[in-house]
Amino acid sequence: MERIFKHPLISFKRGEIITFFFEGRELSAYTGETIAAALHANGIKDLRYSPIRNRPQGLFCAIGKCSSCLMEVDGKPNVRTCITPVKPGMIVRRQHGRGEISE
Amino acid sequence: MRLVSNLDLLVIGGGPAGLSSAIEAAKNGLTVLVVDEGVSSGGQLVKQTHKFFGNESFFASVRGFEISRRLTEQLNSLDSARIQNESSVVAIYPDGILVHDMRNDHTSLLKPKKIVLATGASERFIQFENNDLPGVYGAGAVQTLMNQFGILPGRSVLMIGSGNIGLIVSYQLLQAGVEVRAILEASNRIGGYQVHADKVRRVGIPILLQHTILRAIGEESVRGAVISKLDERWSPISGTERELVVDTICIAVGLLPSIELAAQAGCEMKYVQELGGYVPLRDEDMRTSIDDIFIAGDAAGIEEATTAMIEGQIAGLAVVSDLTKNSIQERLKYLKDTLRKFRSGPTSSKTRAGLSKLGSKFEEVSFTNGNQNDFTKYTGKMRPLIECFEAIPCNPCETSCPAGAISIGDNINSRPIIDYSKCTGCGICATTCPGLAIFMFRENKDGTCSVGIPYEFLPLPAEGQYVTALGRNGEAICKAKVEKVVKSANKTNLVYISVLREYASDVRHILVPSKESGAMVCRCEEVTVDQVRKAIKEGYTDFEELRRYLRIGMGPCGGRTCRLNTLMILSEETGVPVERLSPGVFRPPSIPVSFKALGEGRVDGYEE
Repeated sequence: MERIFKHPLISFKRGEIITFFFEGRELSAYTGETIAAALHANGIKDLRYSPIRNRPQGLFCAIGKCSSCLMEVDGKPNVRTCITPVKPGMIVRRQHGRGEISE
Repeated sequence: MRLVSNLDLLVIGGGPAGLSSAIEAAKNGLTVLVVDEGVSSGGQLVKQTHKFFGNESFFASVRGFEISRRLTEQLNSLDSARIQNESSVVAIYPDGILVHDMRNDHTSLLKPKKIVLATGASERFIQFENNDLPGVYGAGAVQTLMNQFGILPGRSVLMIGSGNIGLIVSYQLLQAGVEVRAILEASNRIGGYQVHADKVRRVGIPILLQHTILRAIGEESVRGAVISKLDERWSPISGTERELVVDTICIAVGLLPSIELAAQAGCEMKYVQELGGYVPLRDEDMRTSIDDIFIAGDAAGIEEATTAMIEGQIAGLAVVSDLTKNSIQERLKYLKDTLRKFRSGPTSSKTRAGLSKLGSKFEEVSFTNGNQNDFTKYTGKMRPLIECFEAIPCNPCETSCPAGAISIGDNINSRPIIDYSKCTGCGICATTCPGLAIFMFRENKDGTCSVGIPYEFLPLPAEGQYVTALGRNGEAICKAKVEKVVKSANKTNLVYISVLREYASDVRHILVPSKESGAMVCRCEEVTVDQVRKAIKEGYTDFEELRRYLRIGMGPCGGRTCRLNTLMILSEETGVPVERLSPGVFRPPSIPVSFKALGEGRVDGYEE
């Protein structure tokens, strides 16, 4: 989805533009954004596939309280991407199942 | 693992309750650490863009994100307090509290003397088919994306739930430029404050009572939703199903207190439905059944940010009272009184019922109903019309009025009483009112009325521009000319429009025509609305000039399609009514005709 640049009440203070990797694709983000927010800004809503029924899951609570946005970040599974800031060069993958450590 | 001691107070959660308790404790010299999971502190305040209700000492009429900034700043200015973001409490063990620093991926074991649990709440999740599809969000997540990070959650939203959160987030979606198709409410009445419901209705969002969602449609993400009417027993009525094309479903059906740590620590818990679920028992000082553990804010029972801040301050001061000899009893008493008054109105009856189950006692308190009976006596004077019909805990109209014309009185739940003889018609109350429920009004001698409308959308109309005046349900009532636009520092601007007096009592909002339009005005010469507007701005303010410049009206249709449309745009842009504009020359041929036909023509009555 797109970013909001004109808003009647809020002036968004965005950081520097950085790039990170999602499933091998290079995407851009602003520093200060969470991984899940940055993926949304790039139109990516399905963040992981559930462990039992293999269903796509997206952002649900955005404050680290549900399990919906768990992804594999820099080889580490089960990262709460809704409260983890995106960093330059970060390697983010959809998590399938319960996640495996793949350093 | 590291061991950290010498800490007087550990506050878990950096939202309104946590920050408030930390500030009170640190002001009294205690060493305080606030641990918060977020990338920045402020909890849910960081994404609240509406102005808060409540009273002045608790940031009434200040927007949520601004409150969060001020609280964080205040805490950071205190030497003995510190906030640690991106950190979660993993467990509360008898020998210490295990904190995970997510930034460095290491843990510490803290041994504070006291703990304030201000862990907030989580989103209630309702059951319908496909409710786990990407594109189904809790209302808080939509706010995070949209208001904290400035990212649109989608283009078209179905809102489930008409409590204050559902209503507020719907309004915010519209402010961000997202369409809200409908707000569904399972019961037969709107859950939130009337002023919030009025706001969403006048922008044209339908609130469908006795409706529910049956399923989300989509494979990889939401493409639509099936909704249905409900009968009195809340069962879907077969045959009333309807499909809506939306890419986002937002769930705002309530919150659950986040009590995992409290329960883990051994605090005695009780299920209190009115407070949102399981909550720890506590006394008036917010002390749980464990002496050294306090609780505040939504984790103690779902309410709202003002009461969370007051509860936080009470908990912080109770800790001060435990650990120091500082005399804080007077302030503590004041806070408890304020909290009691805040909760004394009809909109807090659920909270009172819930708290009674935890042993709190509430006396009957009286509050006055508003009065603006004198309104008609002051016909012809610019004055506010206050459409605040529900006793809610709020008084910025009173405190902001420079003339002292509005009074709420001792009980903050009372409705405003206005003395029009003192009112100067300045409009400050209308820009301050958190419910956007105050409109300015003046009957003019020429049979029109000037109506001042609090407006929080883009684009702002220009003076002299024509807009569509909308009624209480977002219906178009008439065209209206903008008299003036008064910009306000708090971004609730006042747009004064002029409408016929017979419409004035119905007009509550405006629709500003979209400035960007590639829509065609002239089919023959393919001239767009944008082109016409641009030409008018360049100074072509007459139909004949526009025709020569844009070729509008010079095509084969002879101007049948475009002439009046062009004149209407000209009227909107210049403020001159269509009837006073020159329609331009009507030139032959009025339909296309070949030269052959003309050349071989005969003159009637003459033989060749």
